[in-house]
Amino acid sequence: MAKRLIRRKTLDSLGLLFVAFIMVSPVILFFLWMISLSLKYEIDNGAYPPILFPENVAWSNYLKVFEENNFLLYFWNSVLVTGTATLLALVIGVPSGYGIARLKAEKSAVVIMIARMTPGLSFLIPLFLLFQWTGLIGTLWPQIIIHLVVTVPIVVWIMIGYFETTPMELEEAASIDGATPWQVFRLVALPIAKPGIVVSFILALIFSWNNFVFGIVLANRETRTLPVAVYNMLSFEQVSWGPLAAAALIVTLPVLLLTMFAQKQIVAGLTAGAVKGG
Amino acid sequence: MATVNIQNIQKHYGAVKVIHGIDIDIADGEFVVLVGPSGCGKSTLLRMIAGLEEVSGGEIHIGSREVSNMPARDRDIAMVFQNYALYPHMTVADNMGFALKLKKVPAAEIQAKVKRAASILGLEALLDRYPKQLSGGQRQRVAMGRAIVRDPQVFLFDEPLSNLDAKLRVQMRGEIKTMHQRIGTTTIYVTHDQVEAMTMADKIVVLHGGFIEQIGAPLELYDRPANIFVAGFIGSPAMNFIDGWVEEGVFRTTKGLILPLPQAVAEKMGGRDLVYGIRPEHIRASTQGIEGRVTLVEGTGSEIFTRLDAHGEDIACLFRERFDVRFGDTVFIEIDPSKVHLFDKQTGRRI
Amino acid sequence: MASVSIENSVANAKQKRSKPSRLAPNYWPFVLPALLVVSAVIVFPWVFTLWMSVNSWTLGQPRTFIGFANYVRLAQDMRFWESLWHTATYTALSVVLPLFFGTLAALIFDAKFPFRGLLRGVFVMPMMATPVAVALVWTMMFHPQLGVLNYLLSFLGIGPQEWIYNQFTVIPSLVLVETWQWTPLVMLIVLGGLAAVPREPYESAEIDGANAWQKFRYLTMPMIAPFLMIAVIIRSIDAIKSFDIIYAMTQGGPGTASETINIYLYNTAFAYYDIGYGSAMAVVFFFIIIALSFVLLMVRQRANWSDMETK
Repeated sequence: MAKRLIRRKTLDSLGLLFVAFIMVSPVILFFLWMISLSLKYEIDNGAYPPILFPENVAWSNYLKVFEENNFLLYFWNSVLVTGTATLLALVIGVPSGYGIARLKAEKSAVVIMIARMTPGLSFLIPLFLLFQWTGLIGTLWPQIIIHLVVTVPIVVWIMIGYFETTPMELEEAASIDGATPWQVFRLVALPIAKPGIVVSFILALIFSWNNFVFGIVLANRETRTLPVAVYNMLSFEQVSWGPLAAAALIVTLPVLLLTMFAQKQIVAGLTAGAVKGG
Repeated sequence: MATVNIQNIQKHYGAVKVIHGIDIDIADGEFVVLVGPSGCGKSTLLRMIAGLEEVSGGEIHIGSREVSNMPARDRDIAMVFQNYALYPHMTVADNMGFALKLKKVPAAEIQAKVKRAASILGLEALLDRYPKQLSGGQRQRVAMGRAIVRDPQVFLFDEPLSNLDAKLRVQMRGEIKTMHQRIGTTTIYVTHDQVEAMTMADKIVVLHGGFIEQIGAPLELYDRPANIFVAGFIGSPAMNFIDGWVEEGVFRTTKGLILPLPQAVAEKMGGRDLVYGIRPEHIRASTQGIEGRVTLVEGTGSEIFTRLDAHGEDIACLFRERFDVRFGDTVFIEIDPSKVHLFDKQTGRRI
Repeated sequence: MASVSIENSVANAKQKRSKPSRLAPNYWPFVLPALLVVSAVIVFPWVFTLWMSVNSWTLGQPRTFIGFANYVRLAQDMRFWESLWHTATYTALSVVLPLFFGTLAALIFDAKFPFRGLLRGVFVMPMMATPVAVALVWTMMFHPQLGVLNYLLSFLGIGPQEWIYNQFTVIPSLVLVETWQWTPLVMLIVLGGLAAVPREPYESAEIDGANAWQKFRYLTMPMIAPFLMIAVIIRSIDAIKSFDIIYAMTQGGPGTASETINIYLYNTAFAYYDIGYGSAMAVVFFFIIIALSFVLLMVRQRANWSDMETK
């Protein structure tokens, strides 16, 4: 009896593995094909029937991306825009998440919910005009500022939820120990909220990095971020698939690596807040 | 160290009054226990003394300072919380030294003070650990250590033992008492457990529904409870209460039970509706006297607890001597008249 | 009893109290910086858009106040109504399909099997991948002559399709990408719901002789229903606003066959620089989204009430 039960369980879990593998296969095939495209010469990419593993691997596609398209500059732009917008969002958003949680003013977070419902474009029109008038167009600042529309709500939203669950008793103990409200936040609430900060940091980083719509309106030749640069390759270069796929992979690779390494935090953050920017 | 003086303290949330003007005087070095059933306002009162809760009226003095509107951080008090409230991201030593660090005390001095407190509490070996690596009793000690290191004017304890198991609770009770005798800091201790109150307090304040029922030394409360509530709350198992009246020098109930009274009282009390109170431990088994049928027997080895049905009245008795008694037996009991408490039925007050 | 009711009323009173106490720390300084930023980049644009929408203004030309003329124009704009229809189809499909596959995936990933963590990690990757990069590779895969998808279809005996290059298949093709990318989000939400489902009812159902389907129908479904509703709400809001994938792959084409409100809005504001008209469109679009969310939230409330009644 027992033996049969164990065998049945093993079969069950192998069956599940098989079904799960089928569910995941569109993802695997997609990324596999993406890599394959990026490593093939034009001849192989244009072949019919398609070739998955080429005889000659075209590493040169990656070189081409950097040589011909100013990609290093765009990569650096992306780093600056995303990095600054995310760090600013943490500096601004973490204390305010704390304040909102402690003031029990969760209702004020409705603003953030509505912000999340608002299409990104409707922020773009007024801010675009504002940046034109202030003469900021041509620098990275317009993009950094407008990326705050994505990053600040993510950080505030996640941090409210996080600070609500940290016990009030600890902060009372600290205030009895002689801490000012700022010291209570800085020395007790903040260190305890570290996991929440990591989650909001990662999510803000990813959604800011991926953002496309703000860039196509606000960026020029010098201030493009990576997603915009890749899109421009698509529209201006006559179907040269290898370098195109290589560029796409370069854009999304940092994010995918982050997803792999911080899977736990991302899953926790997304199930808790179910946030997405833009 | 300091006296604590509470004058006409009130607390209401909107229209709901939870504390109705309370006065308590606490002498320097005294160990005062606030005790009462849940919802009586004892924790609210403590939190107002701590500065975690705003007072709606009245004044609190610590020493010569009026503190009712002072933030907690300026009151020079230390508090031990129910869930210990240890900072999870700090070591035991950092937890204990946190208040001093905030006061910008030099590191060497902090270290010395933490060491001394740790040695009082037997925590020397644990100073580098984090709270999550400690047992419940150890956490409790660290929380106390954090209070000791401060050398504050007043210690506040908010049900500090309620998360511990029964055995550890008895042990920690002793340790807190010992610590108090050693450092002598004025202490205010909140609990719902009357045994804790009786064993630890110099002075007990019994709270009920936002009012003080009685203030007094433990034995005073036991021997001369001011009213039915205190009489029933202090002492375990609880006092027997029997309704009736005094007639011809004895206490009679409607069901025909007759109970003895001290001579002096019996003469004065004729005719009024009264409540007769007698503690289970003040009832003796006998061969004559009041007859009762046994409805419950619980033996613990050291004592036997029984419930009797005597003329339709339920009477709990606690016998120290051992004898064979079973459900349904008929037994006789005697009551020591000098241990009888009489209360006014209307007001509940002691007579 | 009495003390319990006192405590309840105290708790109620505590919640009702609005005035911050003198002793409580002042938390407003913590909120202030975010308040300023949110007013600048979120609230200001809302107000400004509202104001622009009652003006006629094309960039580079003088602005004139025209009242509700932009809205009237919108009501008569066939292209707008068409884009509304495209949006509705696109959104409906992009909610239903991820919901179906996401729930299925969640049920699988809720069970225990080898490599579960790894596979779940891979499964989540599409939603994290950069949409433009994803769109680019899908565009290549959709290519009618050289695309790998037509090659795969040939194995199933289906002839070559034109995918995003045909006005009738363009929206389903885009939905395919949207589904591929956002099924994981539904999966995560439902998985969160499944994790909160207690074990005991299943054991008692087992003893009562329920089969797998009955257990799913009468236990799992009702218990995860609130989470499915959350998934529907989030997915609806995201799908209706979808921009990156559509714009990167078709720019609303061929012709205007895949032009959703968001794409038309973009074209109006940033291709034709018709700021006033674009703002009016943004306002209408915003209220459509709010109305949709409101209706869905009502449905969710209703669902909760019927839960209460059956209990």
